Amino acid sequence: MAVCIAVIAKENYPLYIRSVPTQNELKFHYTVHTSLDVVEEKISAVGKSLGDQRELYLGLLYPTEDYKMFRKLHNSFTDVMCNPFHNPGDTIQSKAFDGIVSGMMVQTG
Amino acid sequence: MSVPDYMQCAEDHQTVLVVVQPVGIVPEDQFFKIYKRIASVSQVSIRDSQRLLYIRYRHHYLPENNEWGDFQTHRKVVGLIAITTCGSAKEWPQTAERFHGQKEVYSATLYDSRLLVFGLQGEIAEQQRTDVAFYPSFEDCSDVEKRVEDFVESIFIVLESKRLDRATDKSGDKIPLLCVPFEKKDFVGLDTDSRHYKKRCQGRMRKHVGDLCLQASMLQDALVHYHMAVELLRGVNDFLWLGAALEGLCSASVIFHYPGGTAGKTAGRKPSISQPADAGKRHRPGALTANGISADTSTEIGRAKNCLSPEDIIEKYKEAISYYGKYKNAGVIELEACVKAVRVLAIQKRAREASEFLQNAVYINLGQLSEEEKIQRYSILSELYELIGFHRKSAFFKRVAAMQCVAPTIPEPGWRACYKLLLETLPGYSLSLDPKDFSKGTHRGWAAVQMRLLHELVYASRRMGNPGLSVRHLSFLLQTMLDFLSDQEKKEVTQSLENYTSKCPGGMEVITLPDGLKLPPVPFTKLPIVRSVKLLNLPVSLRPHKVKGLLGQNMATASPFIYSPIIMHNRGEERCKKIDFQWVQGDVCEVQLMVYNPMPYELRVENMGLLTSGVEFESLPAALSLPAESGLYPVTLVGVPRTAGNITVNGYHTSVFGVTSDCGCLVEVVPSLPRLQLSTSLPRSAHTPQPMSKEELSSTVSVQLFNGETQQLTITLENIGSEDIETLELTSKIVSTKEFLSWELDEPLSHLPLKHGQAVTLTVNIKVKLDFSGQENLLQDLNDDGISVTGLPISSPLRQVLKPRPETKPVSSESGKAEYSHIKTLEAVLNFKYSGGAGKVEGYYRELSLGVHVDVEPSVFFTRVSTLPATSTRQCHLLLDIFNPTEHELTVSAKNNQDLVLHASECQRMAIQVDKFDFESLPQPDQETTRFTNPKQLEEERQHAQGCQINSKLGICWSIISFQWLQASVEGVLNQLVLEHLQLAPLQWDVLVNGKPCDCDVIADCKVGDAVTLEVKLTNLSKNSVGPLALTVVPYQDYQNGVQNYDLEDAVTFIGSNTFYIDTVKPKENAVCVGALLFLYTGDFYLNIKFQDDSAGRELPLAWFTLPSVHIKALDAPLQAGA
Repeated sequence: MAVCIAVIAKENYPLYIRSVPTQNELKFHYTVHTSLDVVEEKISAVGKSLGDQRELYLGLLYPTEDYKMFRKLHNSFTDVMCNPFHNPGDTIQSKAFDGIVSGMMVQTG
Repeated sequence: MSVPDYMQCAEDHQTVLVVVQPVGIVPEDQFFKIYKRIASVSQVSIRDSQRLLYIRYRHHYLPENNEWGDFQTHRKVVGLIAITTCGSAKEWPQTAERFHGQKEVYSATLYDSRLLVFGLQGEIAEQQRTDVAFYPSFEDCSDVEKRVEDFVESIFIVLESKRLDRATDKSGDKIPLLCVPFEKKDFVGLDTDSRHYKKRCQGRMRKHVGDLCLQASMLQDALVHYHMAVELLRGVNDFLWLGAALEGLCSASVIFHYPGGTAGKTAGRKPSISQPADAGKRHRPGALTANGISADTSTEIGRAKNCLSPEDIIEKYKEAISYYGKYKNAGVIELEACVKAVRVLAIQKRAREASEFLQNAVYINLGQLSEEEKIQRYSILSELYELIGFHRKSAFFKRVAAMQCVAPTIPEPGWRACYKLLLETLPGYSLSLDPKDFSKGTHRGWAAVQMRLLHELVYASRRMGNPGLSVRHLSFLLQTMLDFLSDQEKKEVTQSLENYTSKCPGGMEVITLPDGLKLPPVPFTKLPIVRSVKLLNLPVSLRPHKVKGLLGQNMATASPFIYSPIIMHNRGEERCKKIDFQWVQGDVCEVQLMVYNPMPYELRVENMGLLTSGVEFESLPAALSLPAESGLYPVTLVGVPRTAGNITVNGYHTSVFGVTSDCGCLVEVVPSLPRLQLSTSLPRSAHTPQPMSKEELSSTVSVQLFNGETQQLTITLENIGSEDIETLELTSKIVSTKEFLSWELDEPLSHLPLKHGQAVTLTVNIKVKLDFSGQENLLQDLNDDGISVTGLPISSPLRQVLKPRPETKPVSSESGKAEYSHIKTLEAVLNFKYSGGAGKVEGYYRELSLGVHVDVEPSVFFTRVSTLPATSTRQCHLLLDIFNPTEHELTVSAKNNQDLVLHASECQRMAIQVDKFDFESLPQPDQETTRFTNPKQLEEERQHAQGCQINSKLGICWSIISFQWLQASVEGVLNQLVLEHLQLAPLQWDVLVNGKPCDCDVIADCKVGDAVTLEVKLTNLSKNSVGPLALTVVPYQDYQNGVQNYDLEDAVTFIGSNTFYIDTVKPKENAVCVGALLFLYTGDFYLNIKFQDDSAGRELPLAWFTLPSVHIKALDAPLQAGA
């Protein structure tokens, strides 16, 4: 389904990024990186209108509900964060998370 | 039309286009100088009409774009200014000819033209011609601007006449069909008489008139015309022109809403004098009057109605663009409309919608574009993204543009331009070229993307022919991205780095690019990683030693020895924290580094040496080869100091892969702080309290005291620094268990702030009061001592005979003696925290520590302690066995007691009669503290308080001849058991015989035959209620020979019961029970008041139920006396 899944830290660096056609990984890096502009814009807009009460949910950036993947990914991400050995801010290195992501990826071959 | 003008913005619709071109040979710089002067006349206020005309100048304009002039009149070239040089009159005709030729190009649209001739003088130049101006030289042409203004005015006259002409077209005339170049062939053979066709003509003409009105500063009219045009064109589905009409409407509205312009600062329009840019948009009287329309409110309302709202502008732009999109040939128009809309949205700060327009613009196909046009297009996209704050997308497109510069299809790749553009993308990828920005913590960012960019920079700079730059970028890549490089990549990067450095070795200088960007040096602090730096002392045999006191102070400064300061942890202005050894001039000295190699292959480090300052130092560089992922590896760097003095080791330098780096060690310098010097009244010692190291303590004092002795320690604190001491704090850390230091800090604090050279003194009392008891065996003794712990009342004090003590008890034994003569030590550290000056503001302070070491010699020992009940229940005897372990004669005294003299190593018993203590009256700790301290602590505190009370009451002092009286404490000696005996029972019993209180020693008299009242009063001082209790009174006679006669039924009669019942007594209350006795014979009687076994309160301590025994002497008397 998906070709590239990335989790971005709030300080703007990737916690996790994986794409299926591995030979053209850099392209996806660029795509994800440039799409952050929109996120930043949304955050700044929210910050302006609501003051301190930050609404952290920015809405869907893309019709992801077609695939219902966000919930699954987010649950897995929460699990990773609940791991007492995980240091928030470090890149995600989790087999379980990898597995979930792989399940969402386009099945090639 | 194939070349879009990316710089266009909405307000350009109200400008008239004037082309300025050189004719013949004109030096480029001179042309642009004149062009700039012409271009400065960008808006002209027209006389009499108060209208403004805006002019757009171009020095290059494609004639094919001119053909779109009917579609949007601002694309039409209406004026031409030609600039030429003409040396002599002979050349003039030729020049004039050329000018005419130039005019021909735009002849279809030109309203007017001018020729500026430079260099021609003489007859021809004298002629007065309106269309030609002669100047002797490029320097001497002061009235160029004036000329241009006149020229613009003439254009305005033509424009105004055209506008009036078209606007007043009567329906009778046949309206011509305006069309764009690519439409012409479509209309061939069309029925020109159909209503549809006519409407189309009308609509297009309306739109055209709207354009003209806008150019002629008739904003209101333009809006009306555009609205009409939209209506007409919508009816006939003329989409291209409908789009144009909508865009016209948008442009007019934008001009109204944003008088400051939308093009940003670069192309910003000068606000006219009468019309400040920031004037409220709804109330712009200046604009109204400038339009020549009277400022009456009806037009204002009309304008407000016709004008689009900011939201509508965007909607209409969207619509217009969608119509343009239907025509393949109108790609440029569509693209330009997108750009204009984006600029408007940028002003409105609606970045996301703007990005939608830009997204659309990216996909507009303009057919085959030249490489240059592609670069231009990507660059402009990048700029627009930057404008709306999308820095990442901006960087992305800039990078694409950079790559386009060197596309393989380009015969001469522009590596320089590529490099320049790449540098501009750095902020977008949050990358700076200063390695210092990466030294803070782990690098977090888009490593893959950033690495790619760095690789491209390296490649571009190499192709530019600047290997120095490539080396710098590659070093940067290696240094900052090391963690993200795979082993293979590390290998590749280092290989190429070695290749480059073979041509151009890397160094530590800052590279400055032509555009002023500075590339700071990149030291390889990670290749290898240095973990620790340690300066090594010389071998023992080579160490210098100082001749003491021979040459005095002068010699010290002229010493040949070199000091090495510590570079780490150097604090404040304490400039030289010297290492306590010396290096010798001319001898090899060493610094040890612990390094390791993080690379997956062998690392060759060449020319590794020390960076020093302060002394001429010859560093002997080392070359080393570190195995792959080596782990810590010691490296010794050696060097020879050539002069004497103080040397500072600043860091080290290396050469790895041909790149030399200087790696410094960073030490923070905090603002200046005061310095305190400390001197004491007591001698210094070499003792160091255990947990402290020698470095931490500035000095230690030591003193020897007898247990119980008090000594004063005077500390003088002097400020030897330049800063004032503003705060001073004193804390003590006791190394041994007991607190023995006390001080008053208020007095010295009142002297603050302490200036340079001033001093304060502080007195610290050292009071040693160690345990005066012997060791544990004492307690066992106590428990053996059956008598002292008996709880039940002992009726006769005379029976209390102490068990004889075995003589082998520890007092006399040699081993015990040794134990008592043992010297104990007390240690503490006094910490002076002080601060002042600038350092205090920054939150720094200094600490000065003074160690206090006290050797405590034993003075007296209480080897045994026990109690004996006294005759009164309110008193008891405290028996102390006192041992003198000293070699002096010792005098011990207690309150109300005789002095006891003890010879050396003698043990004697001392008996002290004491009143029992009422511990209940001790102040109770308040609720607050009880809650926060644990029960154990409370218990200890309670015991301590009790001990103190006993101490103060006993007042036991000892003295050695020539010493003053010193206090001894029994606190530690008293165990719980003894305490209980010393304690006044909370149940207070009073026995009254005939109303007289009766205690042990009191003998109550009574007469035989008289009833004797016996009153027992119980006062409950405890916290719980007691009772009910039953007391039985048993009379007996003591024959004083150990025989007690209880058989007294004939001698004593009870009136009533011989048993008293006492009901439950609540705390703080008392109960009284009264009985009576009748003595039948004379004699000495005793009354034993006993508790009956069944009575309650057995759980309470026995000592609480101690009743005084009553001694009654029954006398015969008055009857006989009377007889």
